[in-house]
Amino acid sequence: MDLLASQLINGLHVGSIYALIALGYTMVYGIIKLINFAHGDIIMVGAYTAVITLVSLNWSPVAALIAAIVVCVLLGLTIERVAYKPLRSSPRISSLITAIGVSMLLQNAALLLFGAQPRPFPIVLKVEPLRFGGLQISFITLLTLGVTALLMISLQTFVHNSKPGKAMRAASEDYATAQLMGINVNNIISLTFAIGSALAAIGAYLYVMAYPAVSPTMGSLPGLKAFIAAVLGGIGIIPGAMLGAFVLGIAESLAKAYISSQMSDAVVYFILILVLLFKPTGLMGKPSGEKV
Amino acid sequence: MNKKTKSIALNILGILVLYAALSTLIGSGAINNYLSNILITICITIIMTASLNVTTGLLGQLALGHAGFMAIGAYVSALLTKSLSISFGLSLPLSLMLGGLAAAMCGLLIGIPALRLEGDYLAIITLGFGEIIRVIIENLSITGGARGLTRITRLSRAFSQDRTLSMVIAFTLVFFITVLIISSIFTLGRSRHGRAIISIRENAIAAEATGIPTTRYKLLAFVFAAFYAGIAGGLFAHQISIIDAKMFGFNKSIEYLVMVVLGGMGSITGSVVASIVLVALPEVLRGMEEYRLLIYSFLLILMMLFRPSGLLGTREFSMLAAWEAMERFCSRVFKRKDTPTRMPFQPRYDIWEDKPVLETRDLGIDFGGLKAAEDINIHLSDNEIVGMIGPNGAGKTTVFNLLTGVYAPTRGEIMLLGKSIHGRAPHQITHDGIARTFQNIRLFNSMSALDNVKVAFHSRMRYSPLSGILRNASCLSEERGIDIRARELLRVFQMESDADTIAGSLPYGRQRKLEICRALASNPKVLLLDEPAAGMNPSETAELMQTIKLIRDRFSVAILLIEHDMRLVMGICERIYVLNYGRIIAHGSPEEIRSNPEVIAAYLGQPQSVQEAAHAES
Repeated sequence: MDLLASQLINGLHVGSIYALIALGYTMVYGIIKLINFAHGDIIMVGAYTAVITLVSLNWSPVAALIAAIVVCVLLGLTIERVAYKPLRSSPRISSLITAIGVSMLLQNAALLLFGAQPRPFPIVLKVEPLRFGGLQISFITLLTLGVTALLMISLQTFVHNSKPGKAMRAASEDYATAQLMGINVNNIISLTFAIGSALAAIGAYLYVMAYPAVSPTMGSLPGLKAFIAAVLGGIGIIPGAMLGAFVLGIAESLAKAYISSQMSDAVVYFILILVLLFKPTGLMGKPSGEKV
Repeated sequence: MNKKTKSIALNILGILVLYAALSTLIGSGAINNYLSNILITICITIIMTASLNVTTGLLGQLALGHAGFMAIGAYVSALLTKSLSISFGLSLPLSLMLGGLAAAMCGLLIGIPALRLEGDYLAIITLGFGEIIRVIIENLSITGGARGLTRITRLSRAFSQDRTLSMVIAFTLVFFITVLIISSIFTLGRSRHGRAIISIRENAIAAEATGIPTTRYKLLAFVFAAFYAGIAGGLFAHQISIIDAKMFGFNKSIEYLVMVVLGGMGSITGSVVASIVLVALPEVLRGMEEYRLLIYSFLLILMMLFRPSGLLGTREFSMLAAWEAMERFCSRVFKRKDTPTRMPFQPRYDIWEDKPVLETRDLGIDFGGLKAAEDINIHLSDNEIVGMIGPNGAGKTTVFNLLTGVYAPTRGEIMLLGKSIHGRAPHQITHDGIARTFQNIRLFNSMSALDNVKVAFHSRMRYSPLSGILRNASCLSEERGIDIRARELLRVFQMESDADTIAGSLPYGRQRKLEICRALASNPKVLLLDEPAAGMNPSETAELMQTIKLIRDRFSVAILLIEHDMRLVMGICERIYVLNYGRIIAHGSPEEIRSNPEVIAAYLGQPQSVQEAAHAES
C-alpha cells in the first residue's frame, strides 16, 4: 500500500515537470501547428543558466531561477523570430526540420561550451522529508506539486480571463480570422513562446533539483516525454497537456515499480498508442473530420 | 537515336561508369578500407532515405519510426547468418530477404491500426512503435539485450581471404542492391499503384471518390517502405558487425527524415543526393572535429530557411527514363515480343430503358438530433439531366454524400442499376458506377492533368504492384491503353494541350472541366455534379452548359447536378428536385418548378409572414 502511494506521488512529481514542459509544446502547436523539437533543449539551457549562476557566480537560488527564466524567454523569442517566423508560409515539415536543426545546434553549442561531462546541481534546499505514517515525501516533491498547481491555475486564468489570453485562444482557433479581427498574431505567437519558455525554465529548475545532473543532452528525454504527454491529452489543448502529463508520469512510475524499469518506456508508448487508437485526437481532443 | 534515348543511355552509362570507377579504385587500394565503408554507408543511407520518402514524400504521411524497421531487419538478418550453418554467400541473401519480410510484417501490424490516424498523430504513433521496438530488443535475451549482438560476419571480410577483393565484392553487392531498390521505387511510383499513392497525398477524399481504396494503398506504401528499411538494416548489421538497439532510436529516424526533407519530399533522386551529401559532409568536416555537428546543424537551419522545399522539391533526375531506355534497348537486342496495347475494361451496362438507373427509397440521415435529410425519393433514368436546387443548407450536398457513400444513411435504401449499394465504401461505389465532382474543386494539385485522369482509371486496371515494379508486359500494355483513353477523354473537352500541365496551375474553368473529366474516367453510369458553375462568369457558364449536354450525349450517363445558377438549371435540366430543410418540397419540369408556390416561398419567404412581420415591427 505504501509502495503504491509513494509511486503515485512519484508519478505526480514527474508528471508535474512533464506538464510544465508539455504546456510549451501544446501552446505553440495550438497556434502555429509546429512540433517545436527545440523546446526540450530550452530545459537544458535553463538548467545550465541556473547551475552557472549558482555555482560560478554565487547567486542566490531565487536569483538563479529568475536568471534561468530570463535567459530561456529570450532564447525562445530569438528562436521563434530567427528560425520559425520566416517559414510560417512554408510546408509544415520544413519548420519541423528547422526545429530539429535548432535542437541540434543548441545541444552541440552546449557540448562545445560546457563539455559532455554532466555537472552536478548544488543542493539549494535542505529540508527533511515529511512523514505521513509510513509514507515519506520529500520536500522537493511537495514544492514541485505546489508550484505546478499554482502555475497551471494562473495560466488557465490568464488564457481565459485576460485580453491577450483571449487573443491567444482566438489565434489557436483560427489564425487567419484572428488577424482579421485586429489581433496582432505575431505578438501573440511571441507571447506564446515566451510563456512556454518561462514554464520550461521553471520545469528545468524543478527537474534538476530532483535529478541533479546537468548535461548538453539532458533536455531530450524529458522533452520527448512531455511532447508525448501533450499528444496523449490532445495536442493544442492546454488542460489536455496537464492531464496527459499526469497520466504519463503516473503510468511511468507505476510501470517502473511493478513491471520493469527497463520496460517502462515501452509501457508508456503502449499506453499512448492505445489511447490514440481509441481516441485518435487524444484524451481531451475533439474529433476533427474534413468536410466534403 | 533521338535526344531522349540519348540522355537515357547516358544515365545508365553513368551508373555503370560510377560503379566501374569506384570498384577499380577500391580494388587498387586508392580508396582505403575506411573510405570504402563510407561508400557502403552512403548506399545503405540511400535505401533508408528513399524508402522513407515513399511514406513521407509520396504518401504524404509523416513517419518518425523508420529506424525501427531497420532494427528489425538488422537483428533478424544478423541472427540468421549467425545461426544458419550454410555458406555466407547463400545465407546473406536469404537473411536479407527474411529481414526485409520481417520488417514488412511489422509494418503491416503497425499500419493496420495506425493508418486510421492522420498527420501528427500518425507521426507520434510511428515514433511510439519505433521506440517500443527498440526497448523490446534491448530487453530480449536472444538479441543480446543492451549489450547488443556481436561478431556478426563482416561483409568486407566474408567473401575472400584477400581483404581488398572482399571489399570490392561487398561494395558491388551493396551498390547493385541499392540501384535495384531505387529503380523499383521509381517504377512503382510511375505505375497505377504509385499514382494511387500520390493521389492520396494530394487529396485523400477525392482519391477515395475517384475509386482508390485509400486504406489499402496507405498500407501498401507503408509496408513497402518497411520492407526496404529491413533490407537496409540487414546490410547495416553485416557492415559494422556489432549492433545494439540504441543505434536505431528516435534520433536515427530523425536523421533519415532530415535527409528526405533536405532532398525534397517526393523526389527520390533528391533523397539520393541528400544521402550522399549528408553522409559525406561530416567526413569533410572531420578536420574540425569539435565544430562538426555545430556546423552541420547550422547548415541544416540555413538550408531550410532558404530552400524550404529541399534541394530538388518534387522534381526528379531522369532515372526512370534510364530504365525505360534500358527496356527499349533490351527489347531491341533480345527481340522481345512487342506487348499489345490493352484497353481498359469497358463494362457494358444493360440498357435500362424506362427503368431508373439510380433510385433512392425513403432515404434519410440524422446528425445527432438534426434530420439533415428525410424521405428523399429521387430517381434518375439513363441519359437524363436532372437538377437539384434549394436554398443554402437545404441538404443538397448531404444527399450527394449519401449517394457516394461518404455518409451512411440512417434510413432508406439507394439502388444503383437495380442493386442496393448499402454498406459499400466510397471507392467501391465509384467502381459500381457513381462518380462525382466537388463543390470546392478537389484535384490532385501537383500531378499533371493527364495523371489526374489516369488515377480514375485505377479500378479498371488489373496489373499488380510487382508487375508495376518490373514494368512487365501486362503493366506496359495496360498503361499504354489508359494513356490513349485518358488523352481521348481530355480531347473531348479540348484539354489535350493541357495534358502535361500541373493541375493546380490550370485556370479555374479548366480545373472544373478537368474534375468532370476525371469523374468520367471511372466510367460512371451516374454523374453527380456539385455546383459546377460556381465561380464561373456568364460566358464560362454558357460553355459549361454545352459541355454537360455533350457529356450526356457522348457518355450516356445520367447526370444529377446541384446548382444555384437558375439560367443553367432551367436551361438544361429535364426535371428538377427542390430541397428545403432536408426534404423534397417539389419535383417537376422547369416550368412547373418556376410556378410552384412552395418553391417561391422557400426562396423568397412567405409573402404573408413577411407582411405580418412588417406589421409587427410598425
